[in-house]
Amino acid sequence: MNFGKQLKEGLLTQNPVLVQVLGMCSTMAITTSMANGIGMGISVLIILTASNVVISAIRKVVPDKIRIAMFIVVIAGFVTCVDLLLQAFVPAIAASLGVFIPLIVVNCIILGRAESFSYKNGVVASFVDGICQGLGYTVVLLVMCFIRELLGAGTLAGFRIIPEQFPIGVLTLPVGGFLVLGFLIAAMQWALSKSKEGK
Amino acid sequence: MSNEVKSKEKVQMDPQYIIKLTVTLLITCVVVAAALGGVNAITAEKIAAINWENTVTAMKAVVADPDGTTFSDALELTDTMTAAASSAGGTLDSVYEAQANGQSAGYAIKVVTSGSQGKIEMMVGVDAEGTVTGVSIVKNSETSGIGSKVMTNLPTANGVGVLSQFEGKSAADGTLIVGSNVDAISGATVSTRGVTNGVNAALAVFDVMG
Repeated sequence: MNFGKQLKEGLLTQNPVLVQVLGMCSTMAITTSMANGIGMGISVLIILTASNVVISAIRKVVPDKIRIAMFIVVIAGFVTCVDLLLQAFVPAIAASLGVFIPLIVVNCIILGRAESFSYKNGVVASFVDGICQGLGYTVVLLVMCFIRELLGAGTLAGFRIIPEQFPIGVLTLPVGGFLVLGFLIAAMQWALSKSKEGK
Repeated sequence: MSNEVKSKEKVQMDPQYIIKLTVTLLITCVVVAAALGGVNAITAEKIAAINWENTVTAMKAVVADPDGTTFSDALELTDTMTAAASSAGGTLDSVYEAQANGQSAGYAIKVVTSGSQGKIEMMVGVDAEGTVTGVSIVKNSETSGIGSKVMTNLPTANGVGVLSQFEGKSAADGTLIVGSNVDAISGATVSTRGVTNGVNAALAVFDVMG
């Protein structure tokens, strides 16, 4: 087990959003303000880590044929817990994330990691994998939120940076989400191929 | 191609194996359900309190005297009320009675109508005489920068807030129609029409409540 390698994979070479291109729906929909990005990122990080650990712990007793069904039950359980806790203790975040919290159940990042990592690896490695992949997702969300909130709405975490008449409003719409994500993926691929050439 | 793969795979029909699958899934579901029950027990009361607080805030925004008014629990909806709302172009969600100084001061009526991008949930205050005292938007998904102008009550061409213009209207004004007795925000006619339908629905509900 190698924490540094797993962290590098989560953040860069196997980044869930920019390289594996998973979890697009939530990435596109909620990245309009920093508060949303932090709330969503942390929720996914917690759910991913928790379900990774549980799935890894029960992997030896889960029959192969029904593993996907078991994964979904475990993930849905954690998602519902987080959803209820958010509604009870941070209602503002719950209201602005809306339906995208329950939709984490079908977020491919979590099911993807369950199938490709925690079902085949030990509990500790799966725990680390959950943290690293979750961080990778959160960082990309925050970068997108930063760009879209600053240039699209002219604010950062609610504070006005750019006067109201100048921001590029289209960036806060779905179109803007696609554009920003496209540029980020392109930049990531360029950087990755550069670093490969360097070796 | 996929069919080929399937036919090669040996289907296991051993009853013991099938029972094992069923039992494993059943146990997992029971454990998860128990855990969820626990979390729900902790959070249910808090969530209900928060929802009620939000509803009260929305209701206070639409009555004439926010500080002196208290609200009843949701009234029971009758079929005639729901039918009146739907024939006026909205869906009735709930009705609360407003009380000021121990007397009925009208109703806060929550209706749902269609905007340009999705459903608009709105609260309409109607006083005891059937006059609209205020309109506020609870939830919407109108386009930011266009339909959102209606949701945030920006002024129409004649200077009155698009939601504020409903204050003082009553059944005596007839059905409210955008363009004849309601002004739209230019570019956001559909959103304005949605809100107008909501007010019509609320007035219709008040009418059948007598």
